[in-house]
Amino acid sequence: MSMSERKLTPDLFRPAQLVTGKSEEISKPSLSFWQDAFRRLKMNKAAMAGLFAIVFIIVFSLIAPSFSKYGVDDQELMRANLPPKIPGLEKVEFLGVNGVDIRGVNQYEMKNIPADQKFWFGTDVLGRDQWVRVWKGTQISLYIAFLAATIDLIVGVAYGGISAFYGGRVDDTMQRFVEILYGIPNLVVIILFIIILDPGILSITLALVITGWIGMSRIVRAQILSLKNREFVLASKTLGSTNGRLITKHLLPNTLGAIIITSTFTIPGAIFFEAFLSFIGLGIQPPTASLGALISDGFRSLRIYPHLAIYPAAILCVLMISFNLLGDGLRDALDPKMRR
Amino acid sequence: MLRYITKRVFAMLLTLLIIATLTFFLMKLLPGSPFNNQDKLTETQRYALNEKYGLNDPVPVQYINYLGKLAQGDLGYTFQFDGRTVTSMIANGMGPSATVGFEALVFGTLVGLVLGIAAALKHNTFIDYGAMIVAVFGIAIPSFVFAGLVQYYFGVKLQWLPVAFWNGPEYHILPAFSLSVGVIATVARFMRTEMLEILGTDYILMARSKGISKNAVILKHCVRNSMIPIITILGPLSIGLITGSLVIENIFAIPGIGEQFVKSINLNDYPVIMGTTLFYSFLIIAIILVVDILYGIIDPRIRVAGGKS
Repeated sequence: MSMSERKLTPDLFRPAQLVTGKSEEISKPSLSFWQDAFRRLKMNKAAMAGLFAIVFIIVFSLIAPSFSKYGVDDQELMRANLPPKIPGLEKVEFLGVNGVDIRGVNQYEMKNIPADQKFWFGTDVLGRDQWVRVWKGTQISLYIAFLAATIDLIVGVAYGGISAFYGGRVDDTMQRFVEILYGIPNLVVIILFIIILDPGILSITLALVITGWIGMSRIVRAQILSLKNREFVLASKTLGSTNGRLITKHLLPNTLGAIIITSTFTIPGAIFFEAFLSFIGLGIQPPTASLGALISDGFRSLRIYPHLAIYPAAILCVLMISFNLLGDGLRDALDPKMRR
Repeated sequence: MLRYITKRVFAMLLTLLIIATLTFFLMKLLPGSPFNNQDKLTETQRYALNEKYGLNDPVPVQYINYLGKLAQGDLGYTFQFDGRTVTSMIANGMGPSATVGFEALVFGTLVGLVLGIAAALKHNTFIDYGAMIVAVFGIAIPSFVFAGLVQYYFGVKLQWLPVAFWNGPEYHILPAFSLSVGVIATVARFMRTEMLEILGTDYILMARSKGISKNAVILKHCVRNSMIPIITILGPLSIGLITGSLVIENIFAIPGIGEQFVKSINLNDYPVIMGTTLFYSFLIIAIILVVDILYGIIDPRIRVAGGKS
């Protein structure tokens, strides 16, 4: 009741300043769509964590193998199956990186390894430095990720775009072809390649080239089809824009959000595909290391030498989770309508 | 609708024919014949063997014969065992594979539905966040890593469940659970999105304002309507289960199709590889077809009259 009891006198009020244009003034600098999207992405902690993890893994996979003086296939049976030993952290008992295996035997002392030799992730059955092998394997996963994204961006966008933009008979023919390809499971494609070539990075690359872009082309086609008949495109066309200008200035920029989102979800799919194939022995062949193959080898001796499976499995999981989190974040940032 | 189904069945047969043709000619491209490097055979014996398996005919004739046999379900003989047909190997492996796959699908869908519904009803609470963290991990963590972990933890360390093999109901738990993780995650995410959308619609508000109890609205209106689009992801989910079964069956040593398949690839047993590949293609294409048709029947709003997706 205190409000109404207070006396309202005219000197409490002041006439508003009526300056034309003042009310129209924008108080904050205007943000473009991409600045706004990036601001939304930065607010998403999970997506940023994912982004940092991906950058960290990329940088490490490139520089880490050179930390060790051993190559990816340098074998030495004298130092086989050593548990991990990390300088600095070896004093911390519970981390288990002090060169003592799970039976409590210090393998480094038992095998008379010189004190300056420390294998950060241990060594495998053949005495190869697991640290180098794990990061080299990560390089392969990242190569697959890069390849999948490139194929998506080049083949998928071009195919979907051309199909939708020219429409009519071109669209019909191109879509019949996609329908057939879409029906062939990509597992089947890779097996066909393994039979005529040999299992390895080449077969996986070719299988991805053939099947990897179909999802993207369908999404780009749907987007361009709906954009093609919008007023702003029509207006630009009426003003005499060439097809090239229509595509580069109007159609592609408006599809870019969907393209980015789709490719961030294609990438973990491709990484999983390679790791899965290597795990069942159809992918990367020894002596080349790949995360899937390393995990497969590590599982065979999980009880005695858990370090062989744990590190590659952890890096693979972190990589997959990071790409998924980043994809979710990008979708929320670029397409706020989808946000929940 | 009928026109659409006919068109789709036709497209499916065409795709299968293309896959079969590709596999046949790729096999012909391979150097050598099955009886090439058996030195003990005389020229006559080799000729007789080739004659018996129809390998002396011209390639087009072999192709027609191959398609004819294929239509009757005859996929040829395996190299691994004497006189066993690929069809009988697939038939033997079918039981365990289908059982694990079905158990994983049912268990995964049920758990996924419950998680998704709970997350949507308790939107923006810790239940929601917890369910979505489970979903992100379930989608991101490869099934073989997960299978290896549960096998080690529950099988080796705690010794609650058998580590591997296929000798009774308790042997089903770990493989079916490992296989279902992807299903749980996908269904939970999908269900949550759908539920949130439907909870915001006018007809839910209408039903509530008519005085129908909250539980009845949720069960009869929200959940039922949210479940319709779940059918669309059953196709991709089943394909994921087939792919997943290759590793799960290997890790848990289940005598299914996937385990045989991987073994045949490592042994270069081409007839089994090709037969199983064709079988998988058929399965996947048929599942996608059935799911698409079901979707059109269940949800009349998206009757696919023209047949363009």
